[in-house]
Amino acid sequence: MSDWNLKDQTAVCGVGHSSYGKRLNRSTIDLGGEAIRNALEDAGLKKNDLDGLIVSFGTPIGADADTLAYALGLKLRMYNQTWAHGRFTASCLQWAAMAVKAGLANYVACLASISFSGFRKPMMGGASDGEGAREGGGGHGEDPVYGMTSPGAGSALIAQKYFAKYGATSRQLGAVAVAFRKHASLNPAAMMRNPISIEDHQNSRFVCEPLRLLDYCQINDGAACVIVTTSERARDLQKSPVFISGMQGLPAGREEFIWTHPGFGVAQQSVFDYQPEPQPVYQMAGVTHADIDALFTYDAFSILVWTALERWGFCRPGEAAAFTQDGRIEVGGDLPINTHGGLISEGHIMGWNHQVEIVRQLRGECGPRQVANAQVIQWANAYGDSLIYRR
Amino acid sequence: MSNYTKPLPAISTLNGPYWDGLKQRELKMPSCNDCGKLWYPPAPFCPECWSRNFTWRQLSGRGTVNSWVVFHQAYFSSYKDDVPYNVAEVELEEGPRLLTNLVGIANEDIVMGMAVEIVYDDVTDEVTLAKFRPVK
Ligand SMILES: [Zn+2]
Repeated sequence: MSDWNLKDQTAVCGVGHSSYGKRLNRSTIDLGGEAIRNALEDAGLKKNDLDGLIVSFGTPIGADADTLAYALGLKLRMYNQTWAHGRFTASCLQWAAMAVKAGLANYVACLASISFSGFRKPMMGGASDGEGAREGGGGHGEDPVYGMTSPGAGSALIAQKYFAKYGATSRQLGAVAVAFRKHASLNPAAMMRNPISIEDHQNSRFVCEPLRLLDYCQINDGAACVIVTTSERARDLQKSPVFISGMQGLPAGREEFIWTHPGFGVAQQSVFDYQPEPQPVYQMAGVTHADIDALFTYDAFSILVWTALERWGFCRPGEAAAFTQDGRIEVGGDLPINTHGGLISEGHIMGWNHQVEIVRQLRGECGPRQVANAQVIQWANAYGDSLIYRR
Repeated sequence: MSNYTKPLPAISTLNGPYWDGLKQRELKMPSCNDCGKLWYPPAPFCPECWSRNFTWRQLSGRGTVNSWVVFHQAYFSSYKDDVPYNVAEVELEEGPRLLTNLVGIANEDIVMGMAVEIVYDDVTDEVTLAKFRPVK
């Protein structure tokens, strides 16, 4: 093994977030400042300990790394930022892990601080959707020339094909929304805490058919932050370290479409019987599916939970619809998923709220929604990247 | 035609021949003279073998519905009188898939795999869109 085997070499030492809500009417720098401050306090660190910053999702609707450093008076040795897109959560954490291991920084705060709903204009679809105007097209299949806009529409395209291909139904998809709302009802930080039924799901309006309002994530404001350091440093801090045991990068190319696995046959993907071969993240962490105590996934739309389960081999293509029924993905079930309520019910902080919850689960801080004896938790997405954390 | 307010394509040196083709009632895509790959969206050279030796080949304009959605929300103000409107992904006989609108069919009558053919829609003096209708 080279020195660059990062298994358990780095850890999350602190997490923090702002309040989450619609139209909070607060600047994203303010929200980001609150999240960073809370995360440092959680870690038992001081402002000047922080020397690295990685921001996911800055302009046009989020706070950027350089302006955050300026406003908060940070003294950074390194910073980095992704473009305004939700898919880069794991990428940011991977860069942070490599940076602290390489000595570019000691403590790297990774965060998104965003305002979807108030302070800045919403950008999810329509005239202010810069995605569809990119040369080469939108990242979720946007093609505004034909009225194809918003990330949800790309997901609806997947859902329609999934339903037809496997005989699955919108009613079955409702189980995902119901489970996450149940989790959110146990989470004081969640935006949507009233439990819902399958009937509520079925009665909610279509946004982009076949997806309904209750298949969609929240559109909100807020910030969530995770601080990464070396495991060696993390062991000396006030909270138990949560180790980054495995990681797998974000794939791209013509065989990929962000909302599903290769072989599914949308966009320019080939059509083939997808076999979820052993993924490198499990080998790196030295675990198998049986060791995963809870799964967290980017649930901007309910259908992404199905395609993630199939991509990562928790079930075979076509089986996720049945897999997600009867409470199996709820706390107390075989594979609890998104125990905080996810983007669908806790709030949409680009997956950063998921990282906060993973850390809290592995520390045993989750009260009524605690997964009993959680040791190993995976972050794994429909678009193909992953992290495995352990306590 | 001049008061068309919906989004228009950004025509570039890369995709220019595609849009020029539509204007002339031809659906054309780049095709590699070395490995035979036909591809969409346009690319500077063959994404399979990286050959720069390719030509814009005229396609049949026939295909099948690979998936579709129905927008019940008007994200663009220019679409507010169109909701609910469909967007379909059509798989062309030659392989590539295109996003488009299905015309000449009610949204509730669209089915997976149905055979469709191209309809050229001159939305402005400069731009012609590729729409599709069911094959009779
Ligand atoms: Zn070629």
